[in-house]
Amino acid sequence: MGYTGRKKEVSKSINLCWRNILSGIIIAVFVTTTCLGSMVMAEGKLKPVSEAEFKKGKDVYDKYCAVCHGEEGDGYGELAHALYPKPRDFTKGQYKIRTNATGSLPTDADLIHVISVGIHGTSMIPWDILELDQIKSMLPVLKSFSEAWQYREPESPIAIGREVPSSQQSIARGKELYEQKECWKCHGENGHGDGPSSYDLADEWEIPIQAYDFTRASKFKGGATNHDIYLRFSTGMNGTPMPSFANELSDEDRWSLVHFVKSLAEQKEGHGHGE
Amino acid sequence: MNNIKNLRFFLSACLLAMAVLFSGVAQAHEEEKKPYVPRKVDIYEGFPDWYKGVFADNVGLKEGSGLFKDHYKPPFMHMYMYPGRHYEPPTRFDHSIFIEKERRDLCIRCHETINTGAIEDWKTSAHYNPRKTPIIARKTKIIEDSIGKEISVVDCFDCHVDTEKKQIRLPTAGDCSECHARQVTEFASEKNHGRPNHIQTLESNVLVPWYQESYRRGLMAGNAGCDMCHGATDKCDPCHTRHSFSAAEARRPQACMSCHMGPDHPDAESYSESKHGIIYELEEEHYNFDKPLAHVMVGEEYRTPTCQFCHMYQGGGTFTHNFVSKGIWRMGTVPPSNIEYESSLKDYPYGIKIIPPKIDIYSDENLDKRDKWIEMCSNCHSPRFAAGWLTQMDDYMFQANKLTDQAQKVIDDLIADDMLYPSPAERDIYPGGDWLADVLPAELLGEGVWNAFKSTGGKIPVIGPILGVYAMFYQGDGNPTHIETSYAKMWFWYKLQGYKGYAHVQQDIMWWWGQSPMLQELGNVQSEARSMRRAAAIEKVLAEIGKPVSHYTSKSTASAEELDYEENR
Repeated sequence: MGYTGRKKEVSKSINLCWRNILSGIIIAVFVTTTCLGSMVMAEGKLKPVSEAEFKKGKDVYDKYCAVCHGEEGDGYGELAHALYPKPRDFTKGQYKIRTNATGSLPTDADLIHVISVGIHGTSMIPWDILELDQIKSMLPVLKSFSEAWQYREPESPIAIGREVPSSQQSIARGKELYEQKECWKCHGENGHGDGPSSYDLADEWEIPIQAYDFTRASKFKGGATNHDIYLRFSTGMNGTPMPSFANELSDEDRWSLVHFVKSLAEQKEGHGHGE
Repeated sequence: MNNIKNLRFFLSACLLAMAVLFSGVAQAHEEEKKPYVPRKVDIYEGFPDWYKGVFADNVGLKEGSGLFKDHYKPPFMHMYMYPGRHYEPPTRFDHSIFIEKERRDLCIRCHETINTGAIEDWKTSAHYNPRKTPIIARKTKIIEDSIGKEISVVDCFDCHVDTEKKQIRLPTAGDCSECHARQVTEFASEKNHGRPNHIQTLESNVLVPWYQESYRRGLMAGNAGCDMCHGATDKCDPCHTRHSFSAAEARRPQACMSCHMGPDHPDAESYSESKHGIIYELEEEHYNFDKPLAHVMVGEEYRTPTCQFCHMYQGGGTFTHNFVSKGIWRMGTVPPSNIEYESSLKDYPYGIKIIPPKIDIYSDENLDKRDKWIEMCSNCHSPRFAAGWLTQMDDYMFQANKLTDQAQKVIDDLIADDMLYPSPAERDIYPGGDWLADVLPAELLGEGVWNAFKSTGGKIPVIGPILGVYAMFYQGDGNPTHIETSYAKMWFWYKLQGYKGYAHVQQDIMWWWGQSPMLQELGNVQSEARSMRRAAAIEKVLAEIGKPVSHYTSKSTASAEELDYEENR
C-alpha cells in the first residue's frame, strides 16, 4: 500500500519524463523553493522524507501503534474492538490535544507531547519508553494517513495568558461561567459528566463519547495541570463537541474556569474516595 | 590496686570495642543482600517421568495432554484452563519492550481502560496492599522472611511476566508458590491420596477415551462443561478468584459451588439445603471469614461448618489446602470390597490398572480417617451421634452397591445370552475402542481387556463402574442402549446423589434424588431386559417358521475406519 510521501515522488519522476530540461529545471527550482519554504516555516506542510526514513517510522508505528490505530491509521487495529475510548482514527486529521487554535492540525511538538505522555483514561500509554528519535520518525507516518496534511498547515501555538492565582473569587467566577456557558449541559451540574446532553454525545466518527467527569481528579485526557486544562478551554477538542472559548472568554475567565473545574475534583478527593 | 582496676577497665573497653566492631562486621555481612531467586514448588513432583512429559511440559495448543494427546487437538480456551500445559503468550501485540525496560507502571495505564474490572479487583487485594489488615500484614511478614525479599506491592509484572523467557505468562499454581509455597505444597499433596483430587483433574478429563471420541465426532466445544472444572490442576483461582485472590472469599462455601454441584455430585445443593447450609445462609454476616480456619472460634464465629471447615481439616486442630485426605468413599463410584457381589462386579477392576481397586472401607487408613471425621463433627455433635451417622451412611452405600450389583447382573446375563440388542458386534464401538489398545499397553489395561479391545477393535460391551460411565458421555449408533444408559444413571447419578444427600445431611436429596430414582432405574433395567428377552424369543419362533425378522442395519456394522468421521479441524 502506498503512502503519501511515496506517491508524490513517483508522480514527480513521471513529470520529469514528460518535460524538457528547461521545464525540469523550473520544476526543480519550484520544488526546492517549496521545500526550503516549508523548512523555514518549521511546521510547514508535509515535509518530504526519504523512503528509508519513512520506512523507519512505519516500522516503529507498525510494531507499537498499528495494533490499536490500524496499519492504515484508520483506528481499526486488531485490538480496537476491545478498547473504549476507541483509538484515534488519523485519516481525518482531527486531533484533540493541541496547543493551537481550534480546528487546526497539531504542531509536531503537540504530537510528540501526546505520544510521550499518553492520554489518561485511555489505553494510550506514555510512549516515553521509545527513544525520542523513534517518536519523531513516526510523525511523517501519522501525517501520511490524512490528506489534511497536504492542504493545511498547523497553526502556531496560541499565546497563553498569565495565570491568575486560584482563589475563592476566581473559583466563584468560574462557577458562574460554567453555568453561563452551559458547560453543565454535558458535564453536569456538579461536574460528574452527567448533564442532560451527556447521554447522546458522539464524536465526528459517530462513536458515542462521554463528557468528562471532573471528579475523576487526574484523568483529564490532555493532562491535569492548570496549564493543560487552560489549553483545552482555549483550543477546544477537535472532532468532539468540546468547543474553544478563546474568542468568547478573556484569559482571566478561562483561568477561572480552570480553577473551578479543578475544585470539583478536590471536593471528591476530600471525601476520601480518591485513589 | 589501681593498676589492676585500670587494666580491668582497659580490657573490658577492648572487649567492648571488639564486640562492637565484630557486630558491625556481622551486620555488614548480613546487609550484603543475596539476589532474589524465586523458588517454585513442583506440583508434579513424585509423578513418574512420563507424566510430566504429557501433562506438565508446555506445548501451547500444538498438541493435547495425557497419553491420548495425539487423538485430539486442544480447543483455544484450553490455554486459559490448563495454563501450565497449554498457555501461549499473546501474539497480537509484542509486550517485550515493557518487559525489557521493566516498565511496571505501564501495564496499569493501558489495561485499566481495557480490563477495568480486573485492575480494580487487584486494587482491593492483599497483593496491592500487603498490609491491608493486621492478619494480612502478619502473613506478608512470614512470606517476606521465607523468600528473603521485602514486599511493598505484588503487581502485574510479578505474576504475569516470565522473567526467564521474557514473555507474558498466565500464572500457574507453581508461579503462585514463589510466595505461597506452603499452600501450594499442601495442595499438591492431594495427589498422594489417589484420584479424585484437584491436581489430577486434567488427567481425569483427558485420560478417558470419550473425550477424544467427542473430538473425532466434532463435538469438542461441548466439552467446555468438563474443561472448566477439570482445570483445577495447576491453578489457584478456581477458589481464590482473580484478581482479588482473597483468602476470606475462598473460605466461603460458595467458593466451591460452581464445580461441586450437579447430578454427579450435588455438593452445593445438598449442603445449601441442609441445616448446616441454611443456618449459614441465615447468619452469614456473623461468620468470620477473615480468620484462618485453625483460629476460628467454633460456635462463636462459625455456627455451622462450611465445606472448607470439614474438608480441609486434617485432625488435631490443623487445616491445610489438602481437601481429600479424609476421603473414604471418595466420589462414591468405586465399589467397596466389604460386600459380596453376584455380578461381574466381583471381578472389578478386571485387571485394569488405570482405575482404582475396590475400597476397603474398614482399612486401618480409612478407620483413621473416620476418627478425624468424628473428631470434626464432635465440635458440635456428640461423638456417638457422629459415628452413628457415618455408619448409617456406610450402610446406605453398601445397600446402594448391592442394588448396583443386582442391575449389573441383569445386563451381564443379557450379554452372556447374546440378547443385548443391538449386540456389541452390530453396533458402534466403545469410544476410542479402535485405538485404545494401541496407546495403552496390556500391563495398564490388563491382559484380558487389552486382548478384547485388540481383537474386536473396540466392539465390546463395557458396563458399570467405572468405565461404563461412557454411557453418560457418548452416543454412537446403537451404543449405548437404553438399558445401559439407565444403568449408568443408576450408579453414577442416583447412587452418588443419595450419597451426597447422606454425607451433607440433606434428607430430600438423599431419598428423592438418590434412593428413589435408583430403585426406578433398577426397575427400568429389569423391565428393558425382559423386553429384549421377549423380543429375542419371538424372533426365534418367527425364524423357526420361516419368517426371520430383518434387522435394521445401518453404518453401525461398519468398522471405525469405514465411518469416515469428519475431522473437525
